[in-house]
Amino acid sequence: MPRYKIADVVFDAELIYGYTAKLCEKYLYSGGDKPEFTAVITQKDIDAEKALDGGEKFPDYYLESLALFRKLCDYVLSFRQGIIFHSSAVAVDGKAYLFTAPSGTGKSTHARLWREMLGNRVVMINDDKPIIRFIDGDFYVYGTPWNGKHRLDTNARAKIAAICEIRRGKVNKIYKISPQEMLMVVMNQTIRPTETEKLDNLFFILDKLLSCVPLYRLECDISEEAAKTSYAEMVENAEIKG
Amino acid sequence: MKIKDGFVLREVAGSFIVVAVGDAVKEFNGIVNLNETGAFLWKMLEKGATKEQLIKALLGEYDVDEPTAEKDVSAFMEKLQEAKLVK
Repeated sequence: MPRYKIADVVFDAELIYGYTAKLCEKYLYSGGDKPEFTAVITQKDIDAEKALDGGEKFPDYYLESLALFRKLCDYVLSFRQGIIFHSSAVAVDGKAYLFTAPSGTGKSTHARLWREMLGNRVVMINDDKPIIRFIDGDFYVYGTPWNGKHRLDTNARAKIAAICEIRRGKVNKIYKISPQEMLMVVMNQTIRPTETEKLDNLFFILDKLLSCVPLYRLECDISEEAAKTSYAEMVENAEIKG
Repeated sequence: MKIKDGFVLREVAGSFIVVAVGDAVKEFNGIVNLNETGAFLWKMLEKGATKEQLIKALLGEYDVDEPTAEKDVSAFMEKLQEAKLVK
């Protein structure tokens, strides 16, 4: 049974298909820490993924990888103050910036613009489904193998410096938004549990996250100018202001 | 009018939101945003308050006249009915 370490959680996985094993290869763990749990994926889990909206169009091996992701997210939410946050997470000089938006808006594209602008100062933590965790009063974003269609992730973590909602606009502009405004965005970009206890774990984490991380909204097109706009405000100005 | 089982009010990051839990999620998957007054009225409804009691409570808690309180309570109840959060 393969052993992985993802989001600083060591666990064993009992898998059916090679696809998931291959996907998670970079996160194989051979260190001395004991596994915290075993994720056993059965046909029942795969069928549950299939029953979800849009699930029927995917092959079982792919749905297995989603089932494993769901089990991991469930574990971190229940026991490790962590959540999935659908976003493109980039680290610049070690600090992480999370771009979030509904699929198709251009968060991956915006992350690519940052890479083109900043070169090797940028590390792609994860382009689609990073996990974020609240540890000793700080928020960290972790790479995961569920990395989006461009297959971009790094087995690493970085402290979160800012979160930015992306909207398409004709004029590039960026401004701060309130926790209330960001809450509605984030709620749609995470997995919402149905059990009260887990839901309250999620709310606890979001409450902390939105009160201690700077929150922005970027209205932008797809241009170098858009990346300059967001970088200037989120990185340069933030550093001046301290 | 009673709040359906499986709907809970929470305060998160300065917002009052109502979401479904358990089986109620199959019926309602959204989020309802309430303002402070809405949250106050929701909590009273949870305890089984009638429309008259809601109006009275509003008059006691906030600086409003009776027609305004009645209008606010009616609007609130309509909103809950529209979202199918009450039975």
